[in-house]
Amino acid sequence: MTGVGRRSFLRGALVGAGAAAVTGMTVTADAATSISLPFHGIHQAGIDTPPQRQAVFASFDVIAADKGELKDLLQTLTDRARLLTAGGALPPLGITAPPADSGVLGPDMPGDDLTVTVGVGASLFDDRYGLKDRKPAKLTAMKTFPNDTLDDSQCHGDLSLQLCATDTDTVLHALRDIARHTRGGMQLRWRVDGFQNPPRPAGAQRNLMGFKDGIVKPVPADFDKLVWVGKGNGEPAWVEGGSYQVLRQIRMLVEFWDRVDVSEQENMFGRRRDSGAPLDGNSETDVPDYPADPTGTAIPLTSHIRVANPRTAETAASQFLRRGYNYDKGTDSVGDLDMGLLFCGYQQDIARQFEAVQTRLVDEPLVDYIRPVGGGYFFALPGVRDSNDHFGRSLLA
Amino acid sequence: MRTPRPLPTAIAVIGVGAVVAVAVWRPWESTADAAGAPPQITVSRSQCGQGWTDAKTGRQTFTLHNTGDAAAEVDLVELSSNKVYAEVEGLGPNTSAPMDVQLGAGQFAFRCLIEDTDPITGPVTQLQGDAKGGPAIVPVTKNDLLPLVKQYEAAVSTGVADLVTKTDKLRDDVDAGNLDAARADWLPAHLAYNSLGAAYGAFGDFADKIDGTDAGFHPLEKGLWHNASAADLKPIADQLSTDVHGLQNELPNDQVDPNDLGLRAHEIMENALQFELTGEHDQGSGTTLNTALANLDGTAKVLAILDPVLKPRYADLPAVRKWSDRTRALLTAHLNTPVAQLDRTTRQQLNGAVGELLEKLAPVAAICEVRRSS
Repeated sequence: MTGVGRRSFLRGALVGAGAAAVTGMTVTADAATSISLPFHGIHQAGIDTPPQRQAVFASFDVIAADKGELKDLLQTLTDRARLLTAGGALPPLGITAPPADSGVLGPDMPGDDLTVTVGVGASLFDDRYGLKDRKPAKLTAMKTFPNDTLDDSQCHGDLSLQLCATDTDTVLHALRDIARHTRGGMQLRWRVDGFQNPPRPAGAQRNLMGFKDGIVKPVPADFDKLVWVGKGNGEPAWVEGGSYQVLRQIRMLVEFWDRVDVSEQENMFGRRRDSGAPLDGNSETDVPDYPADPTGTAIPLTSHIRVANPRTAETAASQFLRRGYNYDKGTDSVGDLDMGLLFCGYQQDIARQFEAVQTRLVDEPLVDYIRPVGGGYFFALPGVRDSNDHFGRSLLA
Repeated sequence: MRTPRPLPTAIAVIGVGAVVAVAVWRPWESTADAAGAPPQITVSRSQCGQGWTDAKTGRQTFTLHNTGDAAAEVDLVELSSNKVYAEVEGLGPNTSAPMDVQLGAGQFAFRCLIEDTDPITGPVTQLQGDAKGGPAIVPVTKNDLLPLVKQYEAAVSTGVADLVTKTDKLRDDVDAGNLDAARADWLPAHLAYNSLGAAYGAFGDFADKIDGTDAGFHPLEKGLWHNASAADLKPIADQLSTDVHGLQNELPNDQVDPNDLGLRAHEIMENALQFELTGEHDQGSGTTLNTALANLDGTAKVLAILDPVLKPRYADLPAVRKWSDRTRALLTAHLNTPVAQLDRTTRQQLNGAVGELLEKLAPVAAICEVRRSS
């Protein structure tokens, strides 16, 4: 996390330096792009580390022939993630092979601030690899909610891969590298490329409906209660340090949305579009006072923020950590834009958290303007502890 | 189609006074001259590779600079094994290029291959240290490959003879108006062609005439599987037969470029993935997995012929066999199913097996690239 702060500072300094940056400060630029986030740790990076601007969310089906090949696959994933996040030119292969990497990041392959986060889906724990009794206790296939229009080709998967970095070339380079080294072990099932918007003009980023998103987050002091899976709770021992990952590809019907009156939009969200303030407040960080507004005069009882997080003692345990990204996938058959939100949430218990919130949100007014079309439930593996460890070591032990 | 690499013997530019300079650049050493130009060691024709002063093992980058007036190739060779650790090709006059290497202990020298000049081996640098060297091989020469090319040409000739017999039968079926027989005979003829390994313009214009989208097998397939009349198909079948005979007649005049053998080894399956596993080439017969299997046979033929040069040079050759076998088993199990009808798991297994096989085949072309030895 300190790496990101330093990186942002250097970027800012570069912009401020103006002409100097153009003429003689390339050394500073190199320093900025060579900062990498630590790969080893109790938890994987990319969950509670600050979201970088660009992302790839990819779901794979594992085609490894047996448990041995699955282990090889996870070892290879670990090796590539370690190399890619550390950065540095890969060892030369001389005249014995094509180049060791795609070259998209140049000869020195900066680690940038890449994070590689790996999860496993419930389907990995079927009969194929003898892992039935090792399934994380709370892991199921993603359920279909009443307002969903799911496309099976965009749902589920044995393994999820979340790649995040400041620059698009970094995440795409990582995806190509990982796919190149794992073709015989897993195959892409679906993927969504995501991006976060800069603050406009300040505060939380705006989603593609023009509203500020991700304003309220649980505080790190609560992560052990809300995000990380620990000992007990009926969980197998190997899951400690991991986190449940919910991915939802939520298309936004932006053309329809743009034809809606702003006060109706604001009543659906419960916030002002311009400032992000709750409808009973003045700024985005103001805390809505629901007890003072029991009939929803200011913030409608059906509004998104009020239903999603009623801020009661009973609903406190259903909060989770969001890491959503906007996506843009081109055009549909009537010429409308196919864009929306790749919702990503990390939590301790999907039923208690995401599903409880999503169940409260069934038939909220906003559902006319969004269509959940894909996604999946995964368990983000415990972190790779050190250079001798690999993804899934405790799972396969 | 990739640009073929000209054979070294074909280079006939008269180079006079070509000079190659080698500079050692050590960005990891913070010395006083780090901000200035890296130390330059100029090497002329009679001084190739001189000035390598900082003899050490491990990862290092050299900057090669050609100060002469003719293009040069520079190899870094370990002399006791004759293995090449790195190569920079086509280094033009007055240009520089980095050479990134990982070196272990040994006796190393730069070898400068300058147009119209015998190879020049520079002074020997003795390296001592514990660092492990990177991958290196004894380069494959034209002489290594010439007998293999002859074997390959003989195999293709046999295959084309088989193709001629089968396309003549197909033509006779169509000419006789027996389209049931034509549908049955189309596949063996098409597979005979596809097991030749005709990827990426191997047969010049004949490739498009025989197995392109607008002529030959595929228009015939389209008609046969979409109720075209024998009268409509006759000109296509006759032309196909004519073109196959044309290929057979032309074959003795066509010399296979030795570099093509290594390229073929992965390009045939690149085609299979791009056109057959996608179903793109299917004009109604639903036989693209048969075609992919014929492509795999063609690949196996090339690999068997290349085995003498690959075995001592390619440590991952067993993995090529493993993924060829897996691909073969999957194709055989689903041979007559159109790809669109395969379930997702089967399709992923097939795509994954061919994809992994291609990754393992990619080094074959690099290893088998003809390199100049004299």
